[in-house]
Amino acid sequence: MDLLEYQAKELFREMGIPVLPSQRIDHPSDLKGLRIPYPIALKSQVRTGGRGKAGGVKFVATTIDAVAAAQTIFNLPIMGEYPQVLLAESKYNADREFYLAVVLDRNARRPVLLGSVEGGIEAEASFHRIQQVVVDRQFSPFYARRLAVKMGLQGALIQSVSAVVEKMYHLFVDKDLDLVEINPLGISASGEVMALDGKISANDEALGRHPEIATLARMIAKQVKHEDVPALPFNQNFVQLDGNVAIICNGAGLTMATLDLVCFAGGDPACFLNIWPTYCESNNCVIYSDSSPELLRENVEQSLELVGNDKKVKVILVNIIGSPIACEAAVTAVESYVKRREVSLRGKTPLHIVMRLIGAGDEDLKQRLATLKLHFLEDLEQATKKAVDLARL
Amino acid sequence: MYSKSDLKVIIQGIGQPLGQTHAALMKAYGTNVVAGISPGMGGQTIEEIPIFDMVEQALPEVGPVDASVIFVPPYLVLDAAKEAIAAGIRQIIITSAGVPPLDMVTLVRKAEATDTLVIGPSSPGVIVPGKVLLGTYPAEFYTPGPVGLISRSGTLSYEIARELTEAGIGQSICVGIGGDSIVGSSFQQWLQILEEDDKTEVIVLVGEIGGAGEEAAARYIDEAIDKPVIVYVAGIHAPKGRRLGHAGAIITAGLVGDVGAEVGTPESKIAAFKDVKVPVAERPSQIPELVKKVLKKSGHKKK
Repeated sequence: MDLLEYQAKELFREMGIPVLPSQRIDHPSDLKGLRIPYPIALKSQVRTGGRGKAGGVKFVATTIDAVAAAQTIFNLPIMGEYPQVLLAESKYNADREFYLAVVLDRNARRPVLLGSVEGGIEAEASFHRIQQVVVDRQFSPFYARRLAVKMGLQGALIQSVSAVVEKMYHLFVDKDLDLVEINPLGISASGEVMALDGKISANDEALGRHPEIATLARMIAKQVKHEDVPALPFNQNFVQLDGNVAIICNGAGLTMATLDLVCFAGGDPACFLNIWPTYCESNNCVIYSDSSPELLRENVEQSLELVGNDKKVKVILVNIIGSPIACEAAVTAVESYVKRREVSLRGKTPLHIVMRLIGAGDEDLKQRLATLKLHFLEDLEQATKKAVDLARL
Repeated sequence: MYSKSDLKVIIQGIGQPLGQTHAALMKAYGTNVVAGISPGMGGQTIEEIPIFDMVEQALPEVGPVDASVIFVPPYLVLDAAKEAIAAGIRQIIITSAGVPPLDMVTLVRKAEATDTLVIGPSSPGVIVPGKVLLGTYPAEFYTPGPVGLISRSGTLSYEIARELTEAGIGQSICVGIGGDSIVGSSFQQWLQILEEDDKTEVIVLVGEIGGAGEEAAARYIDEAIDKPVIVYVAGIHAPKGRRLGHAGAIITAGLVGDVGAEVGTPESKIAAFKDVKVPVAERPSQIPELVKKVLKKSGHKKK
């Protein structure tokens, strides 16, 4: 979960990373009680990048100008997202701008420190010039100094920049983050450092042990209402596309393989949904289909309900492979959905269901499926072909 | 180690519903489950498996243990794994999903220092068909044979094992390294294990979009693997820049995720394998044909 800039800066401030005096603006009228002196920057608080270029950052010197600018920014969507709050921040005269980040390197399975003396909006263009230091053992401040030196820094800047990197690393570890980024880190003419913009991505799987971050994340979730993401507990596993074949499957890898097969058969996926989620916010919910057939059944039913209500969907392809327990749960869910749908949608556009099920163990489940108005196939490629053919009718 | 017929295994978290279910299934498969660990349940038994409060209490009773299969909730995984390592166990299989990545960083550092093999998290484990089951694999899709199967994804690997079995090709060792963003063992480590395994004649590597593990595996195959390798990569039609299910399947451009070159896209993965002349199957059903082809070439003896 990406935090907003003002939330990231709160965390920077707590950690002792220098940030400018700033104030959260929930409404343009809040500017009348502004506690920081002009001139200020007003910044749209959205999660997308490219704010400056889109007009989401404005510099103002008076209250009248500030209120007008705030009204404009509140009404300016950036990549479809409207800000719920703005950040008013003191203006800073940076002499130079650096790029700093801490991320996880999945291959090395270690955190890595990143830094470049070409920061700001140019950072991405000079991406290949970013220096890296892998924290391969227990962290010690020398890793941060190693980065500063690799960046080509000299004199007092080595200590002041590495001190910021060290604090970023501690924040990263203490709060289980996926990313801490400062871009730009402003360097004043006198060599003073200042985090002018910041980005923090919290790790979703660790939110359960960081209630304070989970609270921040929930504030954003409330703010950002994407139309294509349903309010399901497992919505991370749902991806909306433009076609007419909906894919419901267990396991991310198998979901992607099924998606590929539908495309190979000439079909056009409407969406795909992995009903084997691993995301949860609380420590106690180990979501795993075999351990909780009840949960799997609910997930399949909710998923069918969700994709079945999408008017462009002509065929739902359900692909389940697993233990007899998991298969039983999936069949029960499909059974109840098919029966319900027959009653509620009689006479409307037909919706075909193709069910592919493997691992049921005995004939009983197959017989239950045979009595339903759906297409049951055991071979995956035949099932995808069937689904694509039905979508063409 | 998988050739050992009396491989001794413990189950940490045997008191959890999932641990209990799979303890029974592993035992039924013939796995030598010598103890279960569940704090507070010491002295009881589950499926005739004696339960201990701590790993260190079990070992004096049952002798040295080869592997631990962990079923504890995700935030307790790091502690459970450390407990097993402290007791001298050098192979750990984590079935739990949703272990925070930084816990895995800590565990990987610990594992490297102690020469411990960590499989998972979010892994179905390891199966040596007909012999030993360590984890949650549905055994019915597997038969003994010459194919070593390495995968990041659980259900997709069941699908492929089943395709192989239906085509009359069995498997030597199958491992799910886990789908999370940080996992304990790499494709390279398993390629090396399968290269050294006498029963394995062909290796099938199942990749998916996201991460750079496949690209690294391609380089490693070129440098260090003599046995034929067949690859399949899932997700070539997946939309870019979207999160797909588990954390391992994130495609991220730019700075988050993987540092450096253009990696993680299906194109970059497939190109990496083709560059080193590893055949890439377009769909799961092609894998058996490709395997048969290389077995024929290598003069595979029917047993």
